Amino acid sequence: MKLQNLALTTTMSSNPDHQIHHNRSFVSNPQHQSTAVIVPPPCSHLEEFKAGRGATAFGKLLECIRVRPLGRASVRREPNEVFRCSACRQASQRVYACVSCAAVVCDIHAPDHEHEIAIDVDRAELFCCSCGDQVYDRDFDSAIVLSQTAAATLGGCNSLCTPPPENLRKRRRVDYRPWTPDSRERALLGTNSSLLPGNDEDLSSSSNFPVGLKGLNNLGNTCFMNSVLQALLHTPPLRNYFLSDRHNRFVCQQKNGVHRNKNERNNKNPQRLCLACDTDALFSAVFSGDRKPYSPAKFLYSWWQHAGNLASYEQQDAHEFFISMLDGIHEKVDKDEHKPHSQGSGDCCIAHRVFSGILRSDVMCTACGFTSTTYDPCVDISLDLVPNHEGPAKTSTKTHHSCNGNAESINSGHSSGTSTLMGCLDRFTRPERLGSDQKFFCQQCQVRQESLKQMSIRKLPLVSCFHIKRFEHSSIRKMSRKVDRYLQFPFSLDMSPYLSSSILRSRFGNRIFGFDGADGNEADESTSEFELFAVVTHTGKLDAGHYATYLRLSNQWYKCDDAWVTQVNENIVRAAQGYMMFYVQKMLYYKASEKQSG
Amino acid sequence: MRASIKRPPTPDAEDEDQDREPTLPEIINIKLIESGEKERLKELLRERLIECGWKDEMKSLCRSFTRKKGRSNVTVDDLVHLITPKGRAAVPDSVKAELLQRIRSFLQSAAL
Repeated sequence: MKLQNLALTTTMSSNPDHQIHHNRSFVSNPQHQSTAVIVPPPCSHLEEFKAGRGATAFGKLLECIRVRPLGRASVRREPNEVFRCSACRQASQRVYACVSCAAVVCDIHAPDHEHEIAIDVDRAELFCCSCGDQVYDRDFDSAIVLSQTAAATLGGCNSLCTPPPENLRKRRRVDYRPWTPDSRERALLGTNSSLLPGNDEDLSSSSNFPVGLKGLNNLGNTCFMNSVLQALLHTPPLRNYFLSDRHNRFVCQQKNGVHRNKNERNNKNPQRLCLACDTDALFSAVFSGDRKPYSPAKFLYSWWQHAGNLASYEQQDAHEFFISMLDGIHEKVDKDEHKPHSQGSGDCCIAHRVFSGILRSDVMCTACGFTSTTYDPCVDISLDLVPNHEGPAKTSTKTHHSCNGNAESINSGHSSGTSTLMGCLDRFTRPERLGSDQKFFCQQCQVRQESLKQMSIRKLPLVSCFHIKRFEHSSIRKMSRKVDRYLQFPFSLDMSPYLSSSILRSRFGNRIFGFDGADGNEADESTSEFELFAVVTHTGKLDAGHYATYLRLSNQWYKCDDAWVTQVNENIVRAAQGYMMFYVQKMLYYKASEKQSG
Repeated sequence: MRASIKRPPTPDAEDEDQDREPTLPEIINIKLIESGEKERLKELLRERLIECGWKDEMKSLCRSFTRKKGRSNVTVDDLVHLITPKGRAAVPDSVKAELLQRIRSFLQSAAL
């Protein structure tokens, strides 16, 4: 029965990154309203207006588009023009320039104007005076976006400029299909496998636990390692990789044995270091069906050899171990395979294939708007733990609004200032003004200028690991402290608002389509949805604490506390102090396939 | 009707305006715009309002209103009229104070 699940999920995992995606603006999928741009049809007035004129309909006014330093487009005939409504002579907040006759009206007098289509001068967005509402047009938006990106990139073109094509190639989620072996396969199974030790011998309740749950003995402050190992043992693509024998430790030893004789004759140490082999051994032991706790001594020893500076019986940081372990697997496998790979593609080794994503960093000059963009691969995202909303949450002004008794609609979702994972991600992707001591050299201005930095996610990994920065080390004050603040985290997570395409879109105002920064490799809705499967928690103080892991299997939660594995209620998990949260792409997480098969 | 697209319509009241002295707020506004300070202040305000959650608040107000009325029954005008009073009232005092301070120092430097 296990084979059934593996066969399916292994094939699944080869799909995600190698498909071309076009914008998802034409997906009118009602379930994903938070991210899909639902295209509003033009009103009759806009249709009429465009009917005779086609793409050059807005020609004159488009010549007056000016892009201000931080990228906002506006309509100005002269640089500092102040528009006044022709009817009331006020320079009000919302002023519209008629596209047909260049009259300027404010929102109050717009309905009286003889023509219908106008442009909001401060936002460069179309408005229909008759309908009293915003309208959208593809040609118009393309032209605006073009001038904005030209301004931000010194006129150099990247694919930000080209509006995405109309036909959307929507990636189909492959449906779950149950599989049972046919007679030939059954025969193969019979000859090539042996039965696991019978579970009925085990009278304890753990016999009902899903396979792969096994305690790990603490070898002396090694809970930092045990907790991360438990999470990795149940990381679906990683588990599938090792259990389908993709890194066979015996074959690997043989190969490396040969190499060693040729190249490393001076190496007297008979042990060859391959963390991937040790991981393979660990998987074999844990998924063997034997419920007795396992001592990962060999693994620990190998890891010490890889991460020499962390080799001691002192408590280490679980996150540091995680990074170090991925690095260890990468090093060995990468060296052996000699595969050419681009950064962040994950083609180098299984560790990166599973965890590697790409972060995009934009630095914008506040003086001229020039934007410098860099991409960096990452295997996890470290988040600062901050309260949801500082400031007004504490002042009295916010809570005492008597706004027609709609107090609860104001405070909904922003009540106690509880930190949430999404709040941290919001903070992570928010534009941040770099201090005056961190002035960035602007290519256009040719001087150091104050700048705005914004992070976003260009490519999501198969498995997202979020690391909460709970341990603060201040080298200045020579002290460290732990942040115990509670963090709320969801069981299902939609990452689309943090993608580069979403983040970028908000810079251009309300436009009809979404974008991506570079070569159209954009995740669409089905790969932005993630499911939580493991939580590494830390309890206690900075120097005297303990790590444990909560695992979600077949929609049941289990607590793995070193050698002790127990089933727990999901509310226990929700209340736990999350330190590292592991989310896997929903596509790779088939609830149906994880049903207990007896 | 009116002929050229390029020429803005001639307002009849233009002569009257030229006799009237620009008021102090108008002068300040023009100076703010000319120096680019207004733009900077607007950006600062945007940042502060995002940081303190004001923008999210307004967004959720708009969302719940739209959900109630139905998306096709809501116009920009409706939303503006909905959130203008609430929005104005919800701006934190600290933000108001900061902006006033910036305007004050600008006025001093512009020697008005």
